[in-house]
Amino acid sequence: MRILAQIGIVLFVCLLGEAIAAVLPFPFPASVIGMVLLFLLLACKWLKPRHIQEKSNFLLSNMAFFFIPAGVGLLDYLDVLKANLVPLLVICLVTTPLVFLVTGWTVQAVMKWTARKEDKPDV
Amino acid sequence: MFETVVYSPLFGIVLSIAAFEAGIWIQKKTRKAICNPLVIAILLCIAVLVLFDIPLEAYNKGGDIINLFLGPATAVLALNIYNQMDVLKKHFWPVLAGCTAGSITSIGSVFLLCKAFGLDDSITKALLPKSCTTPIAVGIAESQGGVVAITMVAVLLTGLIGALAAPLFAKVFHIKSPVAQGLATGACSHALGTTKALEMGEVQGAMSGISIGVCGIITVILSLFL
Repeated sequence: MRILAQIGIVLFVCLLGEAIAAVLPFPFPASVIGMVLLFLLLACKWLKPRHIQEKSNFLLSNMAFFFIPAGVGLLDYLDVLKANLVPLLVICLVTTPLVFLVTGWTVQAVMKWTARKEDKPDV
Repeated sequence: MFETVVYSPLFGIVLSIAAFEAGIWIQKKTRKAICNPLVIAILLCIAVLVLFDIPLEAYNKGGDIINLFLGPATAVLALNIYNQMDVLKKHFWPVLAGCTAGSITSIGSVFLLCKAFGLDDSITKALLPKSCTTPIAVGIAESQGGVVAITMVAVLLTGLIGALAAPLFAKVFHIKSPVAQGLATGACSHALGTTKALEMGEVQGAMSGISIGVCGIITVILSLFL
């Protein structure tokens, strides 16, 4: 499909996401609504991957680039960062291994459990 | 002349692209997770602005245009999730249980530590989604009223820790299953961790990628209850 049409499809879905976010009674990221809408369109086969493939590849393979301005915005919050630097470091250093541990153990436990269930067919 | 140039929207865009290309070049040369192109690009842009005394407002004329792509870039993650549906179906319960447990642990432990440190509400809200992939974390922080720049720092820091230490975590915590290793890496350190998971193995890489999307969605839902 032509790239301009692909851009049109993706932007239209995002605009729809923003419209839905505006009417929801609670704060919900419009971009994630756009993602869910796009996924539903794909899952219902209303949209084929080829309809958005090239535009998606461009965005996904350059994803990090689009976050540069958000990061540079830190310039206005350097004092906030400085004031909270120690808690921030501690939080990241503590929670990252913790999440790894809990996720890993949960997955292993569930896999063991489902494997056992498959061994013993329902009576 | 200087004013005209830096206040042109093209300035912010050109500076960002140049800084990002430099970041990619450095990453290729060093092959170190710590030399992340996004981190390098942000630091380079900030350095240029400070060095030449250019106001952030000038950079943002172009920066705002790049920001426009954030929504679409997040939305097309749908294609990634869609492409991984087969693997997702095969490991449905371990993925769902692991990502739910991981997301709850992340939000819960960050929340408790923020309270323990007595951090501001706007900082706490910025930190809560920090284990998510950048687009979703920024989306959540923005809609909740957190300081997005702080979210960026926390997300990148968390990602770097995972990218550096995921194999160590797996060893120390005795997590031997490749599926569990991949999901755990993606859950705790999103796309940056996934680069390491891909090095650990094909299964780990695929599961880590799935974990990013599933944890992202679960975290969005959880954040509604805060």
